[in-house]
Amino acid sequence: MQTAHTVEHAHTADHSHVHGHDEHHHEETFLTKYIFSQDHKMISKQFLVTGIFWGIVGGLLSVLFRLQLGWPNETFPFLETFLGKWAEGGKITNEFYYALVTMHGTILVFFVLTGGLSGTFANLLIPYQIGARDMASPFMNMLSYWFFFSASVVMLFSFFIQTGPASGGWTAYPPLNGLRDTGVNLGSGLGFDLWILGMSLFIVSSLLGGLNYVATVLNQRTKGMSMWKLPLTMWALMFTAVIGILSFPALLAGCLLLEFDRLLDTSFYLNNIVINGQLLGYKGGSPILFQHLFWFLGHPEVYIIILPAMGLVSEVLSIHSRKPIFGYKAMVLSIVAILVLSFIVWAHHMFVTGLNPNLGAIFTLFTLLIAIPSAIKVFNWIGTLWKGNIRLSSAALFAIGFVSMFITGGLTGIILGNSAIDIQLHDTMFVVAHFHIVMGVAAFFGMFAGVYHWFPRLYGRFMNETLGQIHFYITLIGAYAIFFPMHFMTGLPRRYYTYANFESFNNFNHLAAFISVAAIIVFLGQLIFVVNFFYSIFNGRKVKGEKAADGYEYANPWGATTIEWSAPVDRLHGNWPGEIPTVHRWPYDYALKDREFIPQTEPLKPGEVENH
Amino acid sequence: MTTLLSFIVLVLLFIVLVLVAKASEVSAELKGKFDFFNQSKINGYLLMGFLVLMFVGSAYSYKLLAPVMLPKSASIHGVQTDKLFNVTMLIILVVFVLTQVALFYFAYRYNESFGQKALFYPHNNTLEVVWTVIPAVVLTGLIAMGMYEWYGIFNVEKRAKDTLVVEATAKQFNWMLRYSGPDGKFGTRIIDTEHITPTNELGINWDDKNSHDDFMADKMYIVKDRPVLVKIGALDVLHSFYLPHFRVKMDAVPGIPTEFYFVPTMTTEEMRQYLSTQEWWQTINPETQEPRWKTFKYELACAELCGKSHYGMQKEVVVVTQQEYDEWVKGQTAIYSTVAPKEPTPPAADETKTALLSH
Repeated sequence: MQTAHTVEHAHTADHSHVHGHDEHHHEETFLTKYIFSQDHKMISKQFLVTGIFWGIVGGLLSVLFRLQLGWPNETFPFLETFLGKWAEGGKITNEFYYALVTMHGTILVFFVLTGGLSGTFANLLIPYQIGARDMASPFMNMLSYWFFFSASVVMLFSFFIQTGPASGGWTAYPPLNGLRDTGVNLGSGLGFDLWILGMSLFIVSSLLGGLNYVATVLNQRTKGMSMWKLPLTMWALMFTAVIGILSFPALLAGCLLLEFDRLLDTSFYLNNIVINGQLLGYKGGSPILFQHLFWFLGHPEVYIIILPAMGLVSEVLSIHSRKPIFGYKAMVLSIVAILVLSFIVWAHHMFVTGLNPNLGAIFTLFTLLIAIPSAIKVFNWIGTLWKGNIRLSSAALFAIGFVSMFITGGLTGIILGNSAIDIQLHDTMFVVAHFHIVMGVAAFFGMFAGVYHWFPRLYGRFMNETLGQIHFYITLIGAYAIFFPMHFMTGLPRRYYTYANFESFNNFNHLAAFISVAAIIVFLGQLIFVVNFFYSIFNGRKVKGEKAADGYEYANPWGATTIEWSAPVDRLHGNWPGEIPTVHRWPYDYALKDREFIPQTEPLKPGEVENH
Repeated sequence: MTTLLSFIVLVLLFIVLVLVAKASEVSAELKGKFDFFNQSKINGYLLMGFLVLMFVGSAYSYKLLAPVMLPKSASIHGVQTDKLFNVTMLIILVVFVLTQVALFYFAYRYNESFGQKALFYPHNNTLEVVWTVIPAVVLTGLIAMGMYEWYGIFNVEKRAKDTLVVEATAKQFNWMLRYSGPDGKFGTRIIDTEHITPTNELGINWDDKNSHDDFMADKMYIVKDRPVLVKIGALDVLHSFYLPHFRVKMDAVPGIPTEFYFVPTMTTEEMRQYLSTQEWWQTINPETQEPRWKTFKYELACAELCGKSHYGMQKEVVVVTQQEYDEWVKGQTAIYSTVAPKEPTPPAADETKTALLSH
């Protein structure tokens, strides 16, 4: 196996951070190494493990509400054992059902697919792939995790209070969530205050992290690493952070004003509210204003979720196809196009709020335009596979699954983005099917591809391939079984505890049960991943490398060109024991005439011209 | 007990799975280098198998579910937006098939077990232009068609004079439907604490004579081929006025009036006749012991989460002929006669109060 470590290991005087192995013993205590670590790799693991925890919780919540949706007339006595008053007589109450869907959305969108995904891979890959010893500000990076942790504690805590957690939808629309003490919604009591607190902490975490990621990619690149030599993961993660920095503050402002309405009786979002025949004192606010603020983050948010996955998949597909990514520059430019467009499509979530029809038309235009860069990316991924020599490992399988899911879910976006059609489909199960496939399942596939691929970098071991592949097929087939038929529930409103009150919505009882069974199987399938993950940390097959002259073991298990594999198998503080390698070529030199691949660190041969 | 047992069985299954997986890994390593070659071969076939399974599954779910997918549209614009839905669906279906086949076929055909050498082929600008321009052209067409329909639905100038106006006000967890009565004029509503009381939640101004024949309906009656304008509002939280059969949906927002204009094209009776020819509607409804089409009714639902009983905001919608409608109106009781004060209160002197005018 080729080690890409071509840089002579010399203890030159240039580092302020010398990390030669003979000096590698800063007295690190348990506390600074594992808890308040400022090392990007440890922080990455912290985000990943927290993300996995939230993934299990979020998935479990969906299993609970799928029990209700699949078998609305049955009781499940064991639920009462666990949930007490929330499932009296073994049937989930309607209040708790709404708490479940609300927290399922919040947890998966923010805590797993934003915190867990960006947090894990931006932290792990940015310093390694651009050739930096750590983040621009390791301290801020540590704070980013601990704000995320605090947000997690607050959210988790909200499950155990009298009123239960927030139950007014993950979109937190006022007035339902803007009125605190009027009894309009039990879950809008303390549980929702905690939701706002948790989200605010989360946003702080996301901003601290994001600023750091952008600063690091722009300033800390190693010698020779020009922007056009960055792997697509870096472009994706950096632009993701840019989107987050520009859009999360809008949500923070929106949430704080909402809390003012709740606690201080201001009227930012409230106007002429009548409860039980009594006119409350709120005057002049607009509930629609909140929706604008929310979706000004909310829509870019789906790209915050999907762009990192796209970056990981681009990299994994290219490496495992042993072939350069097709259309590298087109891939970068389409990310830029998505970034710009993602800020001017938010009102497609609001086509039927009564907004001016001209706005509806404009937002239809931009929304459908965003399909173009997305289509370019899909064609380029397929082009990458064409005439490759594909190693179908778990990572590659999940990357291929990502593309499949992204196609299926993306295409129905063309239907929903068209305002005239959206009148009927708005807030129906069709929407639920669409966004679960395109940003939920697809982003998970990207994340799994990333975890299987970079696990050796994180832990020096491989995850078990057999389990990984079983996990892949269960998830692929299961996710399609859940969400493909759900598209046919075209007229069914979402967020219904039961459809029994409506003759019009009563024709899908068998389908609902089928979907629930599939959901439970997929959930259990994810436990295979969890077991594989933790088992492999301690017992996985070891990465075997070659011992170099400096005494460290080097390995490039997938035969990749990028420089994270030019660092020793052991995860050193500071990443490279000697000098940081210099970069000479683009990251996709695969399938060359005489060589299978050439690492980025290898200088161009005399007379060699880069021909991409 | 069964719960506990199935839990134990699951845990054991997991342990077995992990052990088997570990064993296969160890044996592979004993043979020498860990080798993906065989796995690529198997996975290539499995991916092709999945492709077939996906298409068979899609086709089967279409066959099974398409008949109940969307109710037949009973409004003029609904027929148009359904067409647009179908056209878009056909286009994306073509793209779906082409891209999924390419994706899984390439993954199979170019897996390493075929032993080819990968091709260095980093980009092709012609191809990039082609697959940028084609989607752009198709999308432009879809955008144009969508905008045409969209502006048609919300064109205020094209509204007919004889439009039937219904006022729908949502609160937790009910729809309040107000009709203007024989005079065709709604009484004004005044939003202040004096007018809004538990017996007059809408704040109807009884000093306005137009209010005296206004009535509240427990079913929404509308007339075939006569345009309807629904004036939508909400008292407490967001709701959404949703008529699935008429392709109508518009949020009800406290403090901000919204509206939706549409033309129903089939009476309830005509829809029942139509459904009596549809297979699914022949099935027996267990509650009534009759074929489902016999008891078919149009429904009004809430489509925006509005609290714990969001799923229960149901009202029946009845589409009738003008004659039947007129008779129904005669049978209704004006609100004024039941809840209004015996002696009208003198007009309030408060000048700052907001009047929410309806016509």
